[in-house]
Amino acid sequence: MNLLKKNKSFFIIFSIMIISISIISIYQYISLAPKKVVAIIPEYSGNANEFNYLVTDNLSYWISKVVQITGKATQVNEDGILINGTIYCQFENKKDIQSIIENQNIVVKGKLVGFDELLMEIKLNQCIIIQ
Amino acid sequence: MKTTKILIIFCVLLSLQLHAQKYFTRSGITQFEASEKAFEPIEAINTSTTVILDANNGNIVSQVFMAGFQFNNALMQEHFNENYMDSYQYPKATFKGNLDNFSLISFNANNSYDLNGLLTIKGLEKNIQTTVDVKVENDQIFISGSFFVSAKDFNIKIPSIVRDKIANQIQINIDYELIEKK
Repeated sequence: MNLLKKNKSFFIIFSIMIISISIISIYQYISLAPKKVVAIIPEYSGNANEFNYLVTDNLSYWISKVVQITGKATQVNEDGILINGTIYCQFENKKDIQSIIENQNIVVKGKLVGFDELLMEIKLNQCIIIQ
Repeated sequence: MKTTKILIIFCVLLSLQLHAQKYFTRSGITQFEASEKAFEPIEAINTSTTVILDANNGNIVSQVFMAGFQFNNALMQEHFNENYMDSYQYPKATFKGNLDNFSLISFNANNSYDLNGLLTIKGLEKNIQTTVDVKVENDQIFISGSFFVSAKDFNIKIPSIVRDKIANQIQINIDYELIEKK
């Protein structure tokens, strides 16, 4: 009888612990912030011109994917750069852009958001410089 | 003969002038807010909106990518793209319209203009009429304003379980800084 009583209180404490841990972890999962580009392994890494073909071929596959692009910075703007004239990379941190010189070879990583039909460019955002 | 030459030169100059009057941005801010009070905020920001404005006649086109909307919450962002907006099928929303009576040449001070046009989301069109603030400063044109759209108009289905948490009228705020397109 004594043993059962002891087990009962142990059981209650144990179940309260389990429930509270699961509530906390569910809450944490629900309120998780979106992953940053830095933390995501790129789906593609390679040359900008080659990537152009891939996107033209199947745009919807690449939407929201993180990619790493190698090319030439043909235009440097206040909030982003144009790579090989066709891929616009918008930077999260505008300070990064200051170190980029026009026509410099560069490797950037960013998230593809779509193909801009108004300006005829592929658009990446949250970009970071890799090299 | 001379007059024709002058006329041709004048036409060429005029057309150059007309071409040079396009203003644009790649990083316009479009924000939306669909929170009901007392619930978790449902809002997201897109800082990659493309806008092109013809400064001669006020014609304006803009385009915003669904995948460019950033939420504070990963799960919310996933649901937005996958369940509500079908972002893979309809990757963008577009707006084609006109800033009524806008012309850079006759622009004087801080002004509000009527903005009319067609907003296309998920392949469905809806006429939008709103007033926006337009400011011209240091060769830049600033356009800001807000308007409401209804989820129903664009066939955005909200499951009954979250219907109380999501507002029927979704507020859209725009804030664009346009520079001259060369």
